[in-house]
Amino acid sequence: MKGSVIKYERDNIDTDVILPGPYLKIHDYVELAKHAMEGLDKDFHKRVKPGDFIVAGKNFGCGSSREHAPIALSYSGIKAVLALSFARIFYRNAVDGAFLLPIEIDESAYKDISDSDSLEVDISKNEIKNLTKNKIYKMKPFPELIGKIIEAGGLFNYKP
Amino acid sequence: MSKTLFEKIWDSHIVVDEDGRSLLYVDRHLIHEVTSPQAFDGLRLNARKVRRPDLTFATMDHNVPTSDRSLPILDQTSSIQIKTLERNCKEFGITLFDIHSPNQGIVHVIGPELGITLPGTTIVCGDSHTSTHGAFGSLAFGIGTSDVEHVLATQCIMMEKPKTFEIKIQGKRKNPHAVTAKDIILSIIRKIGTAGGTGTVIEYRGETISELTMEQRMTICNMSIEAGARAGLIAPDEKTYQYLNGRKYVPKNYDECVNYWRENLKTDSGAKFDKSFTLSAENIVPQVSWGTNPAMTSDVTGIVPFPDEYGKGNPEEEKGATKALQYMDLKPGTPIMDIVIDRVFIGSCTNARLGDLIEAAKVVKGKKVSSRVRAMVVPGSQLVKKNAEEMGLDKIFKDAGFEWRESGCSMCLGMNPDILAAGERCASTSNRNFEGRQGTGGRTHLVSPVMAAAAAISGHFVDVRELDLN
Repeated sequence: MKGSVIKYERDNIDTDVILPGPYLKIHDYVELAKHAMEGLDKDFHKRVKPGDFIVAGKNFGCGSSREHAPIALSYSGIKAVLALSFARIFYRNAVDGAFLLPIEIDESAYKDISDSDSLEVDISKNEIKNLTKNKIYKMKPFPELIGKIIEAGGLFNYKP
Repeated sequence: MSKTLFEKIWDSHIVVDEDGRSLLYVDRHLIHEVTSPQAFDGLRLNARKVRRPDLTFATMDHNVPTSDRSLPILDQTSSIQIKTLERNCKEFGITLFDIHSPNQGIVHVIGPELGITLPGTTIVCGDSHTSTHGAFGSLAFGIGTSDVEHVLATQCIMMEKPKTFEIKIQGKRKNPHAVTAKDIILSIIRKIGTAGGTGTVIEYRGETISELTMEQRMTICNMSIEAGARAGLIAPDEKTYQYLNGRKYVPKNYDECVNYWRENLKTDSGAKFDKSFTLSAENIVPQVSWGTNPAMTSDVTGIVPFPDEYGKGNPEEEKGATKALQYMDLKPGTPIMDIVIDRVFIGSCTNARLGDLIEAAKVVKGKKVSSRVRAMVVPGSQLVKKNAEEMGLDKIFKDAGFEWRESGCSMCLGMNPDILAAGERCASTSNRNFEGRQGTGGRTHLVSPVMAAAAAISGHFVDVRELDLN
């Protein structure tokens, strides 16, 4: 996976800013995507390109269980969110529906990655290459079960 | 081997346990209009049925208007979502408490009220505040729509076993009418942080918890998710069994069940928790949130903090506080009691039960809402509304100038007609003060029902310990 970074230097980016409440009534995912991150960054949908990564701080996706949040990001083109940590329901929703990869990174990678950097993520090696800065970071490996669900393409495709 | 309450419930629900995954049986599945439509679409697409429609219960709460129920719903998208739930429940044979049902209400209010929530059971719902049901010693998880579909199809949920987290609250509150369950849970979140419970199931224990009513215990468990926990639990006791006795959906052999629960549903004395935290209730004072997450909270007697002091040397925390104060339009150093408000919302799955309304009404009785404030009371369910009206609470609120509305999630989450306008400041009994949560640009201060009621009268926050609430 290759793409460029949209970085929010914030902890606790909640699902209400990722996809605000009024849009929970929208069932068309493409339409939903137009409102992704609207609570935090009104220009997000103009800026985001297919394959982009979001980089953020701790407890990304806290709050509501709305699966609309990872769906909106996914249909905006976001392939993975790289964060210091994730709230569990968001993490679960992202993996279950195979919407995007929730990747945990460490403080040094978080600090080093800048907005608009080009990254290449290789989950088979648990590696993130910063093509702009010519550096390599380690990502936290997925737990075994989660790795298998990701590999299968979501909860419904996973066969134990 | 000694086990915690969580471990006992978990172990008794395992269908398959291998390779680090557990398939758990789900005893009750609650659904609502917002997180279920795609799940039903998924079932249809794969020609699947609902495996246990008899264990699945539905209501509509998130986007129902709280105004006159005889009028049509003007918002077309809300109307479609509500009609879709009606159609899905009919097609799949699921019991629905619709907008005209005497049992309609916020899903986490009606579950316990109808005896659908039972000790020792597993409950899931496509809503993060499902943790509420843990007050009954039920292991209750909030889930997303993919999981809703999975549970509809299989009556099971796949999970990795969470860790256990003991939160002990000891001692007696000095003024239990003024220092409420809401103040206890806000104090806990303030101390452990919004991710303090991540990956864990919290069990709340101790003298203070035993003293709380079932409704107050629900307020505590409700906000477990605001600390990042998977669920919150309180061991059932005689109060629990008394509360549920005679409710519509409790099992016919209720006494037998109670005997089983008494025997089995407690943490063994030698059981170990993965994590522990203790809080003394004696020094808790009424809490008011000042920021944009529930951990950003102060004592009512305190001030809006200076970001550097709040951050305690952590630049991220400091930055977070600065951004929060910018959004909230608050200056550091401002006494909390000087914060002037425009709106008051008494409602939500956190604080819209009968006991909450009784306590708030004590503050309001014989007084008038400040001329600068628009205040509303939104009972958590039609049953709460009916009971409150039988006690004359509606009249107390209306005489004071409050709006008395129909039940629903209302102004907790900004997806129905009850919203804040940009820049409006609200004292709210709900659970989240996130940016835009109650309406784009709206500013939320989380407080207890008595604190919200007192703020409505004064037009600013006041220390309710100084009022006569007995």
